[in-house]
Amino acid sequence: MIGELLTRIRFLIFRKRRGELDEELRFHLEQSIAVKVGEGMPAAEARRQALVEFGGVDAAREECVRQSPGWWLGTVAQDLRYAVRGILAHRWFSAAIITTLATGIGLNTMVFTLVNAVLYKPVPVPGGDRLVCIDNHSLAQSDRSGPLSYPDFQDYRAQAASFESFEATSDEGGILSESGNPPHRYHVARATAGLFSMVHTNALLGRGFLPSDDHAGAEPVLVLSYDVWQERYAGMASVIGRQVRVGGDAATIVGVMPKGFRFPSGVDLWMPLTPTADLAKRDNRQLRGYAILKPGVTMRQANAELNGIAGRLAGQFPADKDLGVRVLTFQERFNGGNIRIVFLLMLAAVGFVLLIACADVANMMLSRALSRQRQMSIRTALGATRWRLIRQLLIESVTLSTVGGVLGMGLAEAGIHWFDLSTQTIRPSWIEFTMDFTVFGYFAALCILSGLLFGIAPALRSSKPDLAGVLKEGAHSVGRSRGGWITSALVVFQFALTLVLLAGAGIFVWALLNTLSINPFVPATRLTIATLQLPESRYKDADARQRFYDELLPRLRELPGVSHAAIASDGPGLGANRQQIELELAPIANPAQRPWVTFVPQSPGYMETIHLPLLAGRAFNETDGTAHHEAAIVTRDAAARLWPGQNPIGKRFRLYDNKNKATEWIAVVGISANLMQEIQENDPRPLLFVPYRQEGWDNMAVVVESSTDPLQAMRTTVQHLDPDLPLNDPSVVKDALEHQTWFLRVFGRIFLGFALIALLMASVGIYAVIAHAMNGRTQEIGLRLALGATMRNIMLLVMKRGLWQIGAGLVLGLGAALPAAHLMASLPFGMAGSNAPIFLVVALCLASVGVFACWLPARRAAGLDPVKAIRYE
Amino acid sequence: MPTSTDLLQGTLDLLILQTLLPGPMHGWGVALRIQQISKDVLQIGQGSLYPALYRLEYKGWIKAEWGNSENNRRAKFYRLTAAGRRQLDSERETWDRLSAAIGLVLGRTVEAPR
Repeated sequence: MIGELLTRIRFLIFRKRRGELDEELRFHLEQSIAVKVGEGMPAAEARRQALVEFGGVDAAREECVRQSPGWWLGTVAQDLRYAVRGILAHRWFSAAIITTLATGIGLNTMVFTLVNAVLYKPVPVPGGDRLVCIDNHSLAQSDRSGPLSYPDFQDYRAQAASFESFEATSDEGGILSESGNPPHRYHVARATAGLFSMVHTNALLGRGFLPSDDHAGAEPVLVLSYDVWQERYAGMASVIGRQVRVGGDAATIVGVMPKGFRFPSGVDLWMPLTPTADLAKRDNRQLRGYAILKPGVTMRQANAELNGIAGRLAGQFPADKDLGVRVLTFQERFNGGNIRIVFLLMLAAVGFVLLIACADVANMMLSRALSRQRQMSIRTALGATRWRLIRQLLIESVTLSTVGGVLGMGLAEAGIHWFDLSTQTIRPSWIEFTMDFTVFGYFAALCILSGLLFGIAPALRSSKPDLAGVLKEGAHSVGRSRGGWITSALVVFQFALTLVLLAGAGIFVWALLNTLSINPFVPATRLTIATLQLPESRYKDADARQRFYDELLPRLRELPGVSHAAIASDGPGLGANRQQIELELAPIANPAQRPWVTFVPQSPGYMETIHLPLLAGRAFNETDGTAHHEAAIVTRDAAARLWPGQNPIGKRFRLYDNKNKATEWIAVVGISANLMQEIQENDPRPLLFVPYRQEGWDNMAVVVESSTDPLQAMRTTVQHLDPDLPLNDPSVVKDALEHQTWFLRVFGRIFLGFALIALLMASVGIYAVIAHAMNGRTQEIGLRLALGATMRNIMLLVMKRGLWQIGAGLVLGLGAALPAAHLMASLPFGMAGSNAPIFLVVALCLASVGVFACWLPARRAAGLDPVKAIRYE
Repeated sequence: MPTSTDLLQGTLDLLILQTLLPGPMHGWGVALRIQQISKDVLQIGQGSLYPALYRLEYKGWIKAEWGNSENNRRAKFYRLTAAGRRQLDSERETWDRLSAAIGLVLGRTVEAPR
């Protein structure tokens, strides 16, 4: 086998020289002649007979050459040379094709790189391709995935044989504090001791966890992420051994992890998960499982094994009843649902762009097929087989698409870089937008497949010439009617796809414009917001918390530059909590049927701070929310939905928390203007405001309106009252709102970009087709003009086909865009609502661009000089 | 002159390999030898002899070298390689089996009508 291969390679490199073969054949003939002369034949006759016996010398020589194993490669190389020569000869034509393909293939490579990173690529840790996440889920409510309890995790780990290692972490916030450094809230993972060794990562400085670190009673230790080490401790090596407090409890820093390591996702600090009485409860579920599969074990097998164990536990412990286990990939765990839909939508969109590009190129090649027919006919006449012609044409297409693809790769790199920057603050650190072999394979497949896709119709068309007809001089309109339907179909197809893309982009842009124009009265650039988390250890109850707020608010209001300050659960437009409501005199027996409302607990003065106008009644005062003074303000919209046609002031209702416990009856004291509180919500609920005393929450936001940056002063004020209390996630409300809509902005821009490129390609496509058709009919048009056709007649003649194609494309496109819009409306980004105006606008827009593209050549046709046109060749 | 007998596909390779078994030989010699041994029944058309020689050479079963012919002309001599020898053995075996099988079938069908 290998021997044969080597022989093949040897003969491929050391080709037989022509001369050797000729000499050998000549020797044969001479011998033959010599024998015949020896038998007494005259020399000339002997030579003639020998040649007759031998048969065609040239045919034999050709046949010998064909025996070479690499023979066909030589012809491919020939075709390739020919293709390159053809590409260079029609420089502008080729440049147009290559640019179109570079755009199409480049965009696809870019989006596939993103999709691959977000949905498929193994997590960049050692053994990442076998890393799985393990969640519990309720067998009763099939779609709910949730965390594990500590005892369940221990049982799974002890009994399952599918895993090389199996660890668990909690996912919580914790405040890191020490003397001489302001307290700061971080993302803390309490993890079993094997977490770092599971992903084969050692500490950069100091150590990770020791196996004994997660035993009960072990010394509490803390491992820092690289970023925390750099930002909080300026990268000092002396940080190892430092005593700090996490959530008020002492811990020793023992290590720093390498740069970029945030496993499992976005972790700042790691602490060992030491067992406590609370953790030992089987219904206390707060751990996420992570495991490395043993080599050769599939996720399905692991899933089956764990569910078997869970089934046994369910029989043993009532808390585990109806509890199933799910083994998921990292991507499924963190990037499921909507993210998946959006990225796949994006892949579909660029797929459309590439199809449109291929249709464009196919049309260009088809138009050239006509002018190539003579060349093809000559080759056929000289004995080229049809397969050989097709092969040569396809090699030419694939060469074009590969050149385009390589250029497109540069475009893809730029696009990935841009996307990387745009999403840097949002995406999890384990997603790396880089190309890998999968992407390269996809890229190579795209180059070849798109070359074949746009090349096949023109190749079939060109290679089937009408021999006699074309070789005749002057028969230049041959074949137009036959090839026409492919071209028409391609144009219709392009317009349909473009309409789908435009409609999708339109929905995104519409949603974005909607969110940008919400709550115009809120002075978002002058509002600063930060959250406070009052720890239970120091603020035991609602009274203690209220005392803190009461002390804090007047001090904030006195800060220089501050015009208003208030405390609320959430800033304007930044989301809110929901509870179920029951109106007085309208009881609802079935708890599941009670309507939901969103509500924002707040201090007096909040509405003035966000400049929300009060329409009727009064604002909150300091007694509202104390016992027997339960109060609420509703927005106008909420009033209309909850008490249609009635004056809501004085009406009473009560709310139910998630344990189905009702509050006291709450009286409506005022009506405010409408406020959009949940911008990422397709179905916003009625919005209510309640006084913060009524709820007594420990997690509230400070909202300050100020002409200068008040953050430093706010921090000092808070720390003056409680040195261990950090001000979390501070931001200007405008930035916070933009953070909420980053998704719409990034993807709106991407989809809009795709749609505009598609629009450009489709209009260039229809322009080229109409202009080409018109060129072919120049003589005819000249004749018509000479016979007295009006300009209108000529314009109609030229544009008729184009208009018909645009119309058909629009109808088909609308049919395809409706399901796409339906899918997008299911995403929770405020994209629901009526899409009819969007469809109308994009269809009109596309139609006018298309008509304009047809009108350009038509106008030129109508302006032709009949005399010149008739003589046009 | 006997009517030409069409060679079975692949049989030509077998014949060439067998002819080269005693020693190296040039193309003309191969054709001549096959014709002589088969008592003029098998005449190899030169149009198929040389392609066959080239094919065998590409497969590595024979090897070509330039040398001098009997009358001191430069000629290309073909020599059986070790791989060629093995190929010859296996092809002979196949041929024996095949011809025996055909013989059996023919023997029966010839007797049946009588």
